[in-house]
Amino acid sequence: MIDVAQLKAHAKGLLEKGTVRTVFGYRKSTAGLLAEPAGITEAAQADDLIFDPSCVQNLALYLVNDKKHQAEKRSDDKRPVAVVAKGCDSRAITVLLQENHFSRESVHVIGVSCEGTGVVDARKLARKLGNKKALAVAFDGADAFAVTTNEGTQSIAAAEVMAERCLECRSAHPTLSDVVFGEAKAERGLHTPFQAVKAKIKESEEDRWAYWSRQFDRCLRCYACRSVCPMCYCDECVVDSISFVIAPDTTAEEKANRIKWIERSPAKSESAMYHMVRAIHLAGRCIDCAECERVCPVNIPLRLLNTRLEMEAFETFQYNPGSDPELPTLTSSFRDTDPNSFIR
Amino acid sequence: MAKVEQTAKDETGFEPKIVAFLCKWCSSAGSDLAGVSRLQYPSNAVPITIMCSGSMSPMFVLSAFNKGADGVLVSGCHPGDCHYLKGNFYARRKIYLVQKLLQFIGLENDRFRMSWVSAAEGAKFAQVMHDFVTDIKKIGPQTRLKAKRP
Repeated sequence: MIDVAQLKAHAKGLLEKGTVRTVFGYRKSTAGLLAEPAGITEAAQADDLIFDPSCVQNLALYLVNDKKHQAEKRSDDKRPVAVVAKGCDSRAITVLLQENHFSRESVHVIGVSCEGTGVVDARKLARKLGNKKALAVAFDGADAFAVTTNEGTQSIAAAEVMAERCLECRSAHPTLSDVVFGEAKAERGLHTPFQAVKAKIKESEEDRWAYWSRQFDRCLRCYACRSVCPMCYCDECVVDSISFVIAPDTTAEEKANRIKWIERSPAKSESAMYHMVRAIHLAGRCIDCAECERVCPVNIPLRLLNTRLEMEAFETFQYNPGSDPELPTLTSSFRDTDPNSFIR
Repeated sequence: MAKVEQTAKDETGFEPKIVAFLCKWCSSAGSDLAGVSRLQYPSNAVPITIMCSGSMSPMFVLSAFNKGADGVLVSGCHPGDCHYLKGNFYARRKIYLVQKLLQFIGLENDRFRMSWVSAAEGAKFAQVMHDFVTDIKKIGPQTRLKAKRP
């Protein structure tokens, strides 16, 4: 069981000594059940840090955002930032290191193991509780959550309200860390990995298109999935013409001649294109934190789309994203034994 | 003349639009060879020469379908023959992933294809085009990813 007091003490120590600029962690949210991400800069605030099953967010995103902010501020503070990372978050950090987004020295990874239970899925929990409202959720032994509602505390089997991705989790323990809190438990294995994808593949082509066409049709193109993804760090996004950088010396002609790969209107064809571009850009990079699916306001099963190529990476190319920062990325490497029979 | 029309049009009058991305060093030269050898093959492809199949971005494929292509072909040098030594190995992996993704969202299998055609294989290029056009004629126009633009 993870000792949060140790986590707080460690963060406090780092901030008191001034060895890190900020500690990104979780604190109790004022709105709703889920914890909120917090950037802590003062040692006194370190007591706010928590770690419980409501800490669902992937904090690797804040490392990416922090880098952008530091560049905007033209800050010369070169101290590292500390980040609280679960197993999946640590894999995201590994992928970012693999891509040289930042150096290993610039980040201090405080690994936390979510052990047997993983994190909670707020939608599943709400469904389970019916008309009771969950106020807090805590770890309760190896395979249960203690959920506090307005009618008292009850124990719920973790497998019933655990996030989908946690059921399939293959490495709950951080693979990359400077310090770890919690017991090492690598595999949870409550569900077979990629089972949703495998079930979907078995359906007919028409059914699959009918399914995805319904999903893409719903998309509002709010780009929440892109904003929450730690891997979507490009300043200019090919699918969004308003993100194109306009410098003082960009001529009107240059602006006019930029390729618009897709229209900005949320038409089905354009949204389909957007989601496919994102899926292909995440091939071999997606570490299955399922944040895109969680933040989607219209419940598009984005995790299903992204895990399709993760399954291919894992089963065909034996590539597991975020396992080793020294490894070349999936699409920047090849083997002689790669599939060739699909080519005529 | 009558015979030419018969081979170019089937009963429904559907003529597939195919975008063919051909590597400059092999497939493009292969298509040239098919031409100068006076081989008969369907003229449905719009050839686009790219420097290497490894420079093929998945965006090109998706964009072609978005703009109404009925089929997309990517063609490069045989493994080991790449002008840039290993570009086609990268392409193979990338195109494989694109193909899996397109299949997963439910685009018809036959619409996206990759082939290895060397500069000496004019006949093979003609055959690849012939097969591709025949297969696409069977499944009809591509409507799933095509943008509805005025």
